[in-house]
Amino acid sequence: MPSSNRILEGVRILAFTTGYAGPYAGRLLANYGAEVIKIESKKGGLDTFRHYGQHKDIDAAPRFIECNLGVRSMAINLKHPTGARLIRELAGKADAILQNFRPRVLDKLGLGDDVLRKANPKLVIVKLPGFGSEGPKSGYGTWGFNLTAFSGMTYLWNHPEQDRPIGSQGVYPDHLGFVMGPTLMVAALLNSRRTGKGVTVDLAQIEGTAYALGATYLETSVNSDDPKPKGNHYAVAAPHGCFACQGEDRWCVISVRDDNEWQSFCHVIGRPELVGDARFADAQSRLDHRAELNAIAQQWTESRSAEEVMNQLQAAGVPAGVVQTGADLLKDPQLRHRNYFASFGDSLIGPFEIPRSGILFQSMAEDPLRLPNRLGADNDQILGELLGYDQAAIEQWRAEEVLT
Amino acid sequence: MTDTIQTTSLLPGYRVLDLTSSMGALCGKMLRDLGMEVLKIEPPSGDPTRGEPPFAKGHAHGEGSLRFAYLNAGKRSATLDAAKPSGRKLLLDLVEWADVVVEDFAPGQLVQLGLGYEALIERQKKLILVSVSGFGQDGPYAHFKTTDIVGNAMGGLLYISGDPTMTPCNPPETQSYYYASLFAAYGVTLALWQRETRGIGAWIDASIQASMALHEHVAFNYSAEGRVMKRAGSQHQHNAPANLFQCKNGWISLFVTQNHWPILLKVWDNHDPELDDPKWINSNLRRQHADYINAQVTSFTSRFLKEDLAELMQKHGIPGLPVNSPSDFMKDPHIQARGFFAEVTHPVLGTFAQPGSPFMVDGKRGAPAPAPLLGQHNEEVYCRDLGMTETDLEVLTAQGVI
Repeated sequence: MPSSNRILEGVRILAFTTGYAGPYAGRLLANYGAEVIKIESKKGGLDTFRHYGQHKDIDAAPRFIECNLGVRSMAINLKHPTGARLIRELAGKADAILQNFRPRVLDKLGLGDDVLRKANPKLVIVKLPGFGSEGPKSGYGTWGFNLTAFSGMTYLWNHPEQDRPIGSQGVYPDHLGFVMGPTLMVAALLNSRRTGKGVTVDLAQIEGTAYALGATYLETSVNSDDPKPKGNHYAVAAPHGCFACQGEDRWCVISVRDDNEWQSFCHVIGRPELVGDARFADAQSRLDHRAELNAIAQQWTESRSAEEVMNQLQAAGVPAGVVQTGADLLKDPQLRHRNYFASFGDSLIGPFEIPRSGILFQSMAEDPLRLPNRLGADNDQILGELLGYDQAAIEQWRAEEVLT
Repeated sequence: MTDTIQTTSLLPGYRVLDLTSSMGALCGKMLRDLGMEVLKIEPPSGDPTRGEPPFAKGHAHGEGSLRFAYLNAGKRSATLDAAKPSGRKLLLDLVEWADVVVEDFAPGQLVQLGLGYEALIERQKKLILVSVSGFGQDGPYAHFKTTDIVGNAMGGLLYISGDPTMTPCNPPETQSYYYASLFAAYGVTLALWQRETRGIGAWIDASIQASMALHEHVAFNYSAEGRVMKRAGSQHQHNAPANLFQCKNGWISLFVTQNHWPILLKVWDNHDPELDDPKWINSNLRRQHADYINAQVTSFTSRFLKEDLAELMQKHGIPGLPVNSPSDFMKDPHIQARGFFAEVTHPVLGTFAQPGSPFMVDGKRGAPAPAPLLGQHNEEVYCRDLGMTETDLEVLTAQGVI
């Protein structure tokens, strides 16, 4: 058995990424041992997350650090001909390119797929553009937030009784992109290993978002329906929903699917007489009476702590869970059991803990995560050791603003 | 397989045994879209997902579940009762045939069936087993029961979703299942890489809670900045205007950073001169005064139809897109031009447009295929792949094993 989860050890990836999905995709590859070299420039090519928050130091943006853990950093001015040449040389020494720029940005800098593949015929290229590389709106600027809206997800992510869409502040499409991106990267690397040729994979993040709404679209294409928001209603469970508990803004979800769970629920809440109530005799009749059942659940939860509600119900085999806050997550015993949080005692933003990954490899040690290197910190080593340039050349490029 | 699949497939030749119900179903679907051959194993009564809505009109049960049809598109289906000894034996034969097994039983249940990881690798040393569960294979909550909303609640996404004055609102469909399934698929590709380079198999433990708990910086914000994120509607935490804004015929989603702000002011006729103060270029300041900024922006957006405004914004490089209904999305000319939806024909559901794979390989999208009927591929799987005779198959069918 190998001692660590550095499965991608020896794989070198050049990353042209900004924001959330692209960088985090790189981070998740670095997480498993890939050498991810992120390329930015102060000459109009900094990751936008370096500017999020109240800090002055561009290396000390919490959001940037979070999304770029384990990533090496080069500062190369792509608009300078020498900078573009160095990228082509680096491509010759790399296995893959990861990028989430708008389509054709790299082409205009003389770094299109064909050019890079001339330097390295086996090069794998994975792109994560918002609207895809082709199509009438491929030039559109999009953030995950906008993609949620465009896909129909924002419209659906609401309680049915609302008079306007509210949706969520989140950027769910980015999360989909940053887990599909690394999947496609490793799949493409496997493909290239087998064929001996490079391959280009293009994930349109809007389609990645739509991938998570497939059953909804079939309601339209098969039934000609236009699905409406369902809020916390779930078609196979009642009572079902999110219930207020004791304390300020404390909630617990409860989800009762079958007769066993229903009977356990009735006993836990001290209402055994409901088991024999004809209105709630089977799953379908419970769904038909879900408003009454949700009111019964609410009555029971409001005088109890969310933890008590969850623990009592789960002990009886009923699905339930505290609506956890960030503070709750950090002390969650299950996440702690998984060694879920990587801990950094010292960093530009002080000590912090951060989630590692949704998956664990059984019987494999988790390699420590590393902080991102400061902007350009790896310039000299990579240009020297990988491309064989001496210090004089490097100093000259610094003076010429190639390396900045 | 058609030529189209061959040329657009990243991982042809790998075989997946998909033992999941709805929780882990999207993992097998992603593996199928990556080009693997995915065989879904169902109990003789069928995967319970076949009983889950939405249904095709006039087909309330059985083969009419649209949820099943989407999550299992392109897979093959064979039936098998793993609780019967001869069913267990068949399953182990199939494990030998497969490279990857995906399962979403309650932790410990496979061991009870005599099909735990140890038993499986006895038959297939380099097997990749991927297990999707609510909380992981061991630990204090491993035995907890999970539904989608439990995963979103315990993972931290639910608390920040929706309006601050309302009950937290779960996202549509079963996103926590999907998300953990996609993480599981990433694990499979990593494990295949490991198998190719180190010659060993793996057991991957995908947790719904752990997959959701890295969303939206919820845990990190608290740890690094001591900040508990709360519900904020669609108001983004770092930017304003970054929210939904009313138009004449609906809503637009706008996301304006410091780079876009000066451009927005140029496009925005008759804006309040106060907004020209250069201090407003700072995103943090605009976010601090989001109520003021949002009210001003609404006075602008409400002059337009949402589609027209989105086009105007994009013409100037400002990220803005309309809040679509699902059917708006399906009809969009860009989505149509890209061929994301492709027609498939299903014996019960008929011919309809189905979402395809979300990525292209060297500019081509994989060929679509419909979901299988229950046990549609029994003969092909048991006779062709495992070499059983038709008599064997009849006997096992009569015994209720298949």
